[in-house]
Amino acid sequence: MKDLISKLCSLDGVSGFEAPVRDFIKAYAQPLADEIVTDNAGNLFCFKKGERKPASPIMLCAHMDEVGFLVKAITADGMLKLSPVGSIDPRVLIGRRMSVGKNGIPGIISIKAIHLTTPEERKKSPELKTLYVDIGAKSKEEAEKLVRVGDPIAFRSEFSGLGVDCIKGKALDDRIGCAVLLKLMEEELSYDTWFVFSASEEIGAQGAVTAVKNIDPGFFGIVECTAAGDTPDTPPHLYSTKMRSGGALSLIDRGSVYCRKLREKVVSQADREGVPYQLKLRDTGANDAGSMIYGTGAHLFGLSVPVRYIHCANSVAFMPDIDSALKLARIFIREAGAFDD
Amino acid sequence: MEALSKLKLLVSEYGVSGDEMRVAKAARDLLAPYAECEIDEFGNVLGRISCGDDSAPTLMLDAHMDQIGFLVTEITPEGFLRFIPVGGVDGRMLPGSELCVMTRRHGNIRGIVGAVPPHLQSGSQSAAIAMEDMTVDVGMTGAQARSVISVGDYMCFAGDLMPLLGGRITSKALDDRACFVCILEALRRLQGKKLSVNLLITATTKEELGCFGAQMVANRLCPDFAIAVDVTHGKTGDAPEVECELSKGAQISIGANSRPELAEMVIEAAKKNNIPYQLAACPARSGTNAWTIQPAGSRGVCTMVLSLPLKYMHSPVELLDMEDVKNTGELLAAFISSFDGRCRL
Repeated sequence: MKDLISKLCSLDGVSGFEAPVRDFIKAYAQPLADEIVTDNAGNLFCFKKGERKPASPIMLCAHMDEVGFLVKAITADGMLKLSPVGSIDPRVLIGRRMSVGKNGIPGIISIKAIHLTTPEERKKSPELKTLYVDIGAKSKEEAEKLVRVGDPIAFRSEFSGLGVDCIKGKALDDRIGCAVLLKLMEEELSYDTWFVFSASEEIGAQGAVTAVKNIDPGFFGIVECTAAGDTPDTPPHLYSTKMRSGGALSLIDRGSVYCRKLREKVVSQADREGVPYQLKLRDTGANDAGSMIYGTGAHLFGLSVPVRYIHCANSVAFMPDIDSALKLARIFIREAGAFDD
Repeated sequence: MEALSKLKLLVSEYGVSGDEMRVAKAARDLLAPYAECEIDEFGNVLGRISCGDDSAPTLMLDAHMDQIGFLVTEITPEGFLRFIPVGGVDGRMLPGSELCVMTRRHGNIRGIVGAVPPHLQSGSQSAAIAMEDMTVDVGMTGAQARSVISVGDYMCFAGDLMPLLGGRITSKALDDRACFVCILEALRRLQGKKLSVNLLITATTKEELGCFGAQMVANRLCPDFAIAVDVTHGKTGDAPEVECELSKGAQISIGANSRPELAEMVIEAAKKNNIPYQLAACPARSGTNAWTIQPAGSRGVCTMVLSLPLKYMHSPVELLDMEDVKNTGELLAAFISSFDGRCRL
């Protein structure tokens, strides 16, 4: 699993530029799926037969895209101005390495040296509009030989293990979800399932809106990453989820109301099997499940891996939490298939 | 070994002020082909090149080895590290960055500086997060972290050297390892040449905290002349007031701390050999080791500051042009080979 996540995180896939991720997943899924289709929204659908056919389609979804930027403009001195793709706090950008365009041209984001700042300046964080990527170009002309407006810019951060059983890297959100789906596809399934790798989640679940209309699922599960709140800068009563506490099951969020009956069936089975889980205790965030309002109605199941420093160059996750998510997703398929039993 | 390979090697060794022994060894190994080398008990690297005349004056060429970093001050019960900076660090470069924790008995481990997830922020994103409110996540529980990390362990920015376009590179600790490479480049060019002065090459400690290493070395060895080779700010879009620019050669400072007489000779050497250079007025303290070297010993030292242009100083992604490194080395060599050891003040 760790190796698969590592490979997925080594790819750049800013929303709208998911092709490298899609190609990798397609190749990986080829020997595992009974049917693979793509659509005009950039989604990838993999159908795999299980032991039984469910009463209505089961769909499990993870998104391929990651937050990043597009080149907004190239300045006279060869610097690349930034247009954000998805939600990124500009405060996590200063001092970071970036990859620009399809060929991953290396660049960096920084601000002038501390020696040139005043104490007052250091209390304020620069706005995104003042930041730029420096690829080492001496002029606009030199930069334009390699980069053009509209090119994607992704974090450049090596995936690696961290501490004890943790991993760190960029785009853990949601390559972890993609890896969980691919690992499930390697198994014998209890019920037929559509595995959907969606595009453009970070800009408002744009890919999933199309996907739900295509599959029209009766049961729609999401494998996502969510902000782990258990860091010292967050008071415990505001923790949404905690790292090292298992996969997080959603109650409600800004986009969806999740099916209580389905969640309770999964929880009962998880208890029987001794699979750790937690409930996502805040209603913050939204994900692809929100796209179901465009469908004809499905029982929603939200499952997230807690990730610290989400939407940063270096996010952190706990491998046993991912193992828990894999088991909970497996239980979801079984419980969705047997929903009315 | 090429200049870039030497620099790559030097920046890969960690050496925060007060903990320079590892990088000192790397610097000594690179200097050894050119000079008689030793490392003093404080971690300063000293290399001597004799001109064959013990009574000839001594010219000290100095670059500092230490880099900015952090000290662990607390390991929380949950396993997060709290810390203070060592040297001038702008805290705004930290959230989401990767650090290396140099543990005393368990080697180097990685850590991530935490940042409040955007979904949970109540304050404005335009307010900088104070360094005392940040923590480092090493992916361990409190007990696990305590078993490998101690309060007082050093940390610094992680990340190797990364080439950019057209000979430009980015890395941590280019300040001031790149200037040591400039000196090595000069020595390579001077090999086999007859000199009129004895050379003392120093890779010194604790510059970032007050230029202490160079001060003790100068007081102990009392050179006649010294050139502090250090980085200087290159112009960026957010610092248009900076005069110096990358890719235009070394910057020669002129002022009380960078003697005009010595500077004049370096300018002459540059002109004579068609080596690009830039000038800077240096009215008072230079902010380099030249400040503490100048009053050393009972006679003082005739000091000069030669600077390598660099953008984003003290960030994890300092940026410079290798062409400037080459030109700075060439200028040093041109000056030294022409220097007769006389400089009337």
